Amino acid sequence: MIIRLVSAALVAGFLAAIVATGLQLALTSPLIIAAERYETQAQAPVSPPAPGFASLVVRVHGGHDHGAKDPGVSGGETAPAWQPGPGLPRMAFTALATLVGGVGYALLLGAVLLACGREPTPETGLRFAVAGFLAVALAPALGLPPELPGMDAAPLADRQFWWVMTAVATAMGLYLIAIRRAPISIAGGLVLIVAPHLAGAPETSHAASALPAGYAAQFAARSLGIAFVFWAVIGLAYGWAWALFGRKATAHA
Amino acid sequence: MSTNTLVLTGTRTNERLGAVLVAAFLGLGLVFMAGFAPAMALHNAAHDFRHTQNFPCH
Repeated sequence: MIIRLVSAALVAGFLAAIVATGLQLALTSPLIIAAERYETQAQAPVSPPAPGFASLVVRVHGGHDHGAKDPGVSGGETAPAWQPGPGLPRMAFTALATLVGGVGYALLLGAVLLACGREPTPETGLRFAVAGFLAVALAPALGLPPELPGMDAAPLADRQFWWVMTAVATAMGLYLIAIRRAPISIAGGLVLIVAPHLAGAPETSHAASALPAGYAAQFAARSLGIAFVFWAVIGLAYGWAWALFGRKATAHA
Repeated sequence: MSTNTLVLTGTRTNERLGAVLVAAFLGLGLVFMAGFAPAMALHNAAHDFRHTQNFPCH
């Protein structure tokens, strides 16, 4: 069964990654690259202070941002860390990351379907995929809108913590409402879904930025649209591939 | 509803639990790698994906 699940997840993640990569390269990557021009412009006047002092500051900042998990990695800004070259390599790594994320999400979708005892079909797959979109894309975006590079924001660790907490609480809330369906669990589910927003996301910056607001708005809308398509393809393709590998297994037996 | 529910027997339940745990572990690992891993090289490689999928970034 695990083989069937992983195979179906690989197929679903791959198909979703193809679609989502195309959309990302066409719709959001140009905005990210445009925003990075404003980011480097804004940073340029700040960099000159004495090198010793600057590296100390950045090091402390990097340690705070990225936690103590990986002491080998100092703040990426001091020694320029590896990054994919512009153009094709960058697109290729975006595609690779999308593939890794897509397969990861598809595996989680498969695990949840199985744990809930639902036979994966394109229909149930799509239904659970919509729940996945609500939990990891829409709910966190209500508090932490999709950001372009260069938009000021709260410390990374705070935002990651809130993001994970919101995604988990929303997923559990949706489970209680849509699957348990008892009045008491529906009430509990609503509380779980609303709680992270009442607790409040780490504050977004209200400082003015050189970045045109139109870019940010366009990016937020496109980002959510792509996330929805990404999840929808994962769900549909997972249900389809699950049946495909089931048929193959019975044919071989 | 009954058509949507997997038929469960004793051995299948164990197999199912194992599959759920393995898939969840693998899935969380991959999503962490693509969306949260703090190593700078991984961050830079996945940068555009993280922004588009609204993972907290920078």
